[in-house]
Amino acid sequence: MSILRARDLAVGARLDGAVVPVIRTLSFDLGPGKILGLVGESGAGKSMIGRAIAQLLPPGFAITAGTLSFENQDLLRMAPAHRRALLGRAIAFIPQAPLTALNPVMTIGRQFDEHLVRVDLLSRTKRHEKAVAMLAAAQLPQASEVLTKYPHQLSGGMCQRVLIAMAFASNPRLVIADEPTTALDATLHPQIVRLIADMQKENGTAVIFITHDLRLAAHVCDDVIVMYAGRAVEHGPARSVLAVPSHPYTRCLQLANPSMTERRALYVIPQQMPSLRELRRISGCHFAPRCPVAVEECRRADPPDVVVGTDHVSACFRTEATRRIVTARSTIPGATAAERPLLQVDDLAKLYAGERWFGDTRSIAAVKNVSFSIAENEFVALVGESGSGKSTIAKLLVGLERPSNGQILLDGRDLIGSTGALRSMAVQMVFQDPQSALNPRRRVASIVTQALEASGHSASANERLARAQMLLSEVGLPADFASRFPAQLSGGQRQRINIARALCSLPKLLVADEIVSGLDVSIQAQILALLARLRSELGFAMLFISHDLSVVRHLCSRVLVMYRGEIVEQGRIEAVFSDPQHPHTRALLSSVPPENPASTWPFSA
Amino acid sequence: MPDAVSRSLRSPRILMALVLILCIGGCAILAPVVAPHDPAEQNLVSILLPPSWARGGDPAFPLGTDSLGRCVLSRLIFGARTAMTVAVFASIGAMIIGSVLAHVSGYFGGAIDWFIGRAVDIWMSFPPVILSLILMVGLGVGLDKVILAIILVDWTRFCRVLRAEVLIVTRRDYVSAAQLLGFSHWQTLIREVLPATLPLLITLVSLEMAIAVVVEAILSFVGLGVRPDQPAWGQMIADARQYVYQSPWNLLLPILTIFTAVAAFNLLGDGLRRTLDVRLLDIGR
Repeated sequence: MSILRARDLAVGARLDGAVVPVIRTLSFDLGPGKILGLVGESGAGKSMIGRAIAQLLPPGFAITAGTLSFENQDLLRMAPAHRRALLGRAIAFIPQAPLTALNPVMTIGRQFDEHLVRVDLLSRTKRHEKAVAMLAAAQLPQASEVLTKYPHQLSGGMCQRVLIAMAFASNPRLVIADEPTTALDATLHPQIVRLIADMQKENGTAVIFITHDLRLAAHVCDDVIVMYAGRAVEHGPARSVLAVPSHPYTRCLQLANPSMTERRALYVIPQQMPSLRELRRISGCHFAPRCPVAVEECRRADPPDVVVGTDHVSACFRTEATRRIVTARSTIPGATAAERPLLQVDDLAKLYAGERWFGDTRSIAAVKNVSFSIAENEFVALVGESGSGKSTIAKLLVGLERPSNGQILLDGRDLIGSTGALRSMAVQMVFQDPQSALNPRRRVASIVTQALEASGHSASANERLARAQMLLSEVGLPADFASRFPAQLSGGQRQRINIARALCSLPKLLVADEIVSGLDVSIQAQILALLARLRSELGFAMLFISHDLSVVRHLCSRVLVMYRGEIVEQGRIEAVFSDPQHPHTRALLSSVPPENPASTWPFSA
Repeated sequence: MPDAVSRSLRSPRILMALVLILCIGGCAILAPVVAPHDPAEQNLVSILLPPSWARGGDPAFPLGTDSLGRCVLSRLIFGARTAMTVAVFASIGAMIIGSVLAHVSGYFGGAIDWFIGRAVDIWMSFPPVILSLILMVGLGVGLDKVILAIILVDWTRFCRVLRAEVLIVTRRDYVSAAQLLGFSHWQTLIREVLPATLPLLITLVSLEMAIAVVVEAILSFVGLGVRPDQPAWGQMIADARQYVYQSPWNLLLPILTIFTAVAAFNLLGDGLRRTLDVRLLDIGR
């Protein structure tokens, strides 16, 4: 018997008077005690399944066909009261953002208690015992103390553990985990995933694990479904799907992810996932416009599900050709760096004054004793968990903060004392969130040439437009984007604009703060390829701040590892990653799931 | 911005408010042309006449006369002049002082922010009506003094509300980006911060106009507003109060006029808030 069974499930969205399919003919069986991974980039429709089960589809969305049954009960046609009785008890959810999922004005204990009342545990002492037991099972030490705390007194990881404990407290038969690690620090991902897997195994629960991380899914799930533009393009046992991907999209996605073991070029899938509006114009296979092996047939008809192995299905006419998609091996990490140091940072420190009531002036060191150098044309990575002081270093370098101590020399000149205009010619920053980094009221041409507007410049409108078009072509955007507003661009396009603006004054050093962490894998590959190309064309050095070690390994030649405000380890990437000295570096490295799905990972299910 | 204008003109709230404000404003500007009588002209043989449609009304005085036989309609029309002048100049004056301080305070932060913030706190701890009365006693009566008093009392409202918005905008990365690109503080404030706070600023001005109309009426009512020979709605209410049993019309008409003007400005402010606030647009998307 299967816990959850979907047959030809379809979800449609109303758009301009017509219904556009958001999910098309999705079928799967989830057996008891199994983990099913739904993998895909944003917009693939993977979150819709969880919403369809809870009947919480966004306005304008509706289930248009198919069946969805939970233990042979039809979820779509059951009475709302009956469904409510199942939700939160037999079917539990683990949310994406733990801090917003908990009520900030209630203690953890009260929220847990309320939940257990719903689960029909009537005696107060029994409920308390159950809560303590569940929190202990979720590896929260001092469980009874955690119950007296408010959500803001716990870290994000602890809140997620509480929510996982709550989800499993009702002995559910099905748990839906929608990107349960996305909002958490990278070093916590494996532990949280491991926790879900452990709890699942102990209780024999079936789990739907929604994620964008193909590698993670391969290690955690029994089966995976790869989604693209609303269609399940590949479906099969997790290890088999990753070992022999037979849909071109799965293969491209795998190759777009930087490798931790070998140096190879990233596979750059052109363009982006079609929006709902664009979907209506694509006939045949939805992936065909971006597919490297697409033929005429693919554009004419929707491909059928082709069986390629045991329980392994791929929706493609050309499953044979998929194997031929490869990327070139790249031997050098981009251009070779010059020997002469461009940037020299010595003994840098930044202290923030603490509370200053009644003489208690403890200051907190966000950054201390930091020394490093960057050579011309060199890409150096700065890694570490959140709160380790990475962003503070970025702000100190570009001059958004003044250091409490230390020296920053660029080309032998002191950068801290230099004036705004000189500094802006030398160092520029690319911001993490392109949404907030672009003024929504300026057009693209005005944004990318903003440096020419600053005091001391006098560029005519024509000069600015010409420069804007040059910059747009450099970052690979068509010239007619110049007259658009940021709101009319996608996330990847906005990040290109963000990069173009920083490059306008041809800086020698670029500081990039987590610039690909908000992007989908295929878009991330595009941006990484763009950065490598721009370096060889324009020549600049970069401090690349990231938490993603595989990205860092692909792009940079040296790495600085930060931990609690200090650089604990630095050196050439290969050397540091293959023989980490500091325990924190080792912890960071072990949080990356290995590429080979057959190899063991301490956090695997 | 043209987009915002066309969106505003499609909002029924804004359209209705604009029609009302244009009527009142038109009367104020064209007062000598549209008013049937001189507002100061006394006609002692026909005092306290009801409106022309009521029994005993005189068609020469469409809305009747007051206790000195002056034409109520003409006085209302000339009173609109006083009210509109005060509304426009007082709210713009308060906006300039308040928004300059708010932008400086929110953008630079630190000691400046602390100082301006405390000044606003202290200023706002005086009851506003009492403060304006004290100011009027000190300054003396007159249209310019009323405007000055309202500016001095109400700049704090702009300062406090706008500062919060400036704080939010200043923390956006694009403001940091502008600074990194070599923009001076002045350039950053004018080109990056102000365009983002402008919708709120415009909304606050239209709400402040409503407040200015009320404050002017209160000051005139207690005789500390404009000079006595200048018609004002508050003054008309004060005069009519004594004869409220003989002629309730004299009391009701200026009250109704004040109500209409205030409602129009509030409606405009609410409409602008709904159409210009980008955050509300995001929800609809």
